[in-house]
Amino acid sequence: MEVWRALIGPLGFAAKSLRRRGFHAYLAFLGLTLTIATTTFLLLLGQDLATRLGIDSTMRSTFGISWLIFAYLVLALGLIGIVGLLSASYLVSSMISQRMRDIGVIKAAGALPRRLLSYVTFEAFVVIFSSCLVGALSALLIYASWSWPSISLFKQIGPIPNAGATVLIVVPLISFLLSYMIASIRVRRIVGSSSVNAISKQLFDLDLQSLGKPLRIKRLGSAFNLATRNVSRDRAFNKTLLCVGICIFLSMVVLSGALVSSDTSASYVARAMPPHVLIVANSNIYNQYVSLGTLFSRTAPVPSINYVNESYLITPQNASVFRAIPGVETVDTRLITMSSITGFVKAHFASNQDTGENINTQIIPEVDTGSAQALIVGIDPSNATGDWYTSDGFLQSNDAQYTMIAGDSLIGNIVQMPLNLSQISAFGFRYDVKSALVDPLNYGRVLYAPVLTLQRNLGVNGYNVLLLKVNNNPAVLSAVTRLANSYGLVVGSQDPILNSNLAFLNSTWSYIFLIPILGLTLTCGILLSYLATNFSRRFNDYVVLKVLGANVWYRLKLLLWESWGVLAISMLIAIPVAWAVSIFFLIPDPSVSVADLELSTIVSASALSGVSVASAAIYSRRLGLTTVKDLKP
Amino acid sequence: MDSQDEEIEVRTPTLAVDFVGVSKEYLVSGKPVKALASISLNVKEGEVAAIVGPSGAGKTTILNIIAGLEKPSQGEARVLGLDLNESNEHSLSAFRSANIGFIFQSYNLVSTLTAEENVELMMELAGWSDSGRNEKLTAELIIMVGLADRAKHLPAQLSGGEQQRVAIARAMANDPSLILADEPTGNLDQRTGLEIVKLLSRLKVERGKTLVVTTHDDRIVEMADVIFRLENGSLESVDRPARVRS
Repeated sequence: MEVWRALIGPLGFAAKSLRRRGFHAYLAFLGLTLTIATTTFLLLLGQDLATRLGIDSTMRSTFGISWLIFAYLVLALGLIGIVGLLSASYLVSSMISQRMRDIGVIKAAGALPRRLLSYVTFEAFVVIFSSCLVGALSALLIYASWSWPSISLFKQIGPIPNAGATVLIVVPLISFLLSYMIASIRVRRIVGSSSVNAISKQLFDLDLQSLGKPLRIKRLGSAFNLATRNVSRDRAFNKTLLCVGICIFLSMVVLSGALVSSDTSASYVARAMPPHVLIVANSNIYNQYVSLGTLFSRTAPVPSINYVNESYLITPQNASVFRAIPGVETVDTRLITMSSITGFVKAHFASNQDTGENINTQIIPEVDTGSAQALIVGIDPSNATGDWYTSDGFLQSNDAQYTMIAGDSLIGNIVQMPLNLSQISAFGFRYDVKSALVDPLNYGRVLYAPVLTLQRNLGVNGYNVLLLKVNNNPAVLSAVTRLANSYGLVVGSQDPILNSNLAFLNSTWSYIFLIPILGLTLTCGILLSYLATNFSRRFNDYVVLKVLGANVWYRLKLLLWESWGVLAISMLIAIPVAWAVSIFFLIPDPSVSVADLELSTIVSASALSGVSVASAAIYSRRLGLTTVKDLKP
Repeated sequence: MDSQDEEIEVRTPTLAVDFVGVSKEYLVSGKPVKALASISLNVKEGEVAAIVGPSGAGKTTILNIIAGLEKPSQGEARVLGLDLNESNEHSLSAFRSANIGFIFQSYNLVSTLTAEENVELMMELAGWSDSGRNEKLTAELIIMVGLADRAKHLPAQLSGGEQQRVAIARAMANDPSLILADEPTGNLDQRTGLEIVKLLSRLKVERGKTLVVTTHDDRIVEMADVIFRLENGSLESVDRPARVRS
């Protein structure tokens, strides 16, 4: 006698039942295990990327860009977590629904409801627990092989200590608790209902009139019309549509969100350092400016120099000569210098309403927010080449003289929010902070002030960097170079700095793109589980059709319409909504490339359609191997 | 086009079913098991043939071979003039949908389709694309089996007898020359079974269909023109009742 035969009680019931149900039990276990493994692995991978990014961004990038990437990661992982939990709940719910008739039969045979409840719940517990355990171990193994030897399982991500270990425990645990809770509720409901209802076929009380007339399109043929009726009369159709739709929507937000975030971060950098700009300066200042510009993408130290050395200065007269060269569109005259700055939050009144109608007003004294070295750029606001992404606009000609725009890496420490209360002290003068901007120059530790104010503060008359926005004509470069050489200045394009920064961003995003791609894989897995469950449940109907004479093409088309139909409806709703969310709600001032959105749609639609076509083909083949003997009574 | 577009040219034979030395073997756990042993039988057009015998005698296997769902391991099998050994799966599907009607013991209606949709589906499988004509014929068949008031019900909402009547209407839907019935009264009570027997009888008398029926039901055996008795996969006897011989 085999061991399982000797088992009694809930364990024996579970062992026998799972063994008897073979394929279906295996399918439920596999679907749940894959979902939990993928979700856990994705969250482990996400925290790993966030760790690496966090360490990296302390030396490179800017606070704004790092925050954008980090926020995307948190959002993506959160959404993937929801997809995983939703999928696990759906699978468990389907698994219990398939047992409905069996439970009704056992109850009708005289099993005590309480005992039946404990037995069936224990059977679900076995499947769910083993899936969670195997899923978590699989995720750990995949993650270990992916990130070996630098596993960051025990590092801190933001407020979460030992983030990886936490993910490894929390995700399977929540999946287990949620799945078990759903299974218990479903089993309790079935056991609590009458045996007749449980034994009756699922379509027994379906009101066809409430569903309206089935969709029939003669041109699409009999298989399509049969598929629409099969799908629309499926009791779980609405639930399935909702579940698949939400999963597609969330994975599309993750995917298109990655593309929009990547494009936007690149656009923030390109807007601060636009292409076709020539840098004209003394060779020492030129090298210094190039180093400061590329600090965003590399970690080399920048030597300290005296930026306002007399020999580095370009007189206003000389600068205006460059303006006269045909093809030069803008001359951005800058005076840059590195200086120690101190941040303050101005003294202000704070009001708070206590209980009743009393309003307490108190004076908050000025607060020193600390000091740091920052690059200060004097700029003529009316001739700036950059078009920065700013919180409250860039400098204007009519701004007060002591006004500054703070680079994003200074926000949150030296410069505190709200900006209208923030001040910067530099060269012994106090500047009001008007706005914040994203700028890769000196990895975001930069302040922009009116150039005339800065000249006055530093006691110089002139500039040390000219940025020339030129058209793409090589003759302009020659003319600018000739003139610059005559003043003892060098000329170089800003494009290599921009390209180096964009390449760094691209390389960072290329790692992060693993998350949406694997998220899409998770959704494909969910779709596969749904299709497998659905096809298995209706397999007898397909065998009947085969016996009646439906040929292989008819059967394949029927399966394709059924699988792709639900998918197409879900995609039609989910994809445009996901686009809208990614474009309008995810990132401020986004840069949206239609080609990227099309690409994300094509990739998702192709992957999901591929899964539906493949599963239809597999089941059609399986159907081809059946005979009339496979028909179930 | 997803209807069965391939028309099989069937010449008009005298014999609807003609088996010569047909054997069928299955592999069960790697060992060959003989389901049919060199069976020779024939059924003429317009006849009702009853195949009787204990469970496991090979009755359903004979029906499956006639329907082209399985091929003989040995021997020659011709149905409505078509050599089954020479036909591929695609042409057998087309042959089935155009020339054969099926009635199962367990009804096997498509669960998501109403009674009338189940009947109409068979016409679509046979490649009949005139939906107006199909609807009219469906209504006639549903009335013929006495289910006019249950036409828009799903199989799960019908009794066993009602489902079997839908199955009979479906078997007639493609106007087949040959109807195969696998223990059609096996799941029904005495009275409902009688209604089904009467319906089958009408198929022969009013519509001149050839019927091959596997059964344990004496009422069906009594109406048969030829009775094949099977035992352990072998044909024990062929009996033509006196009323037929006369």
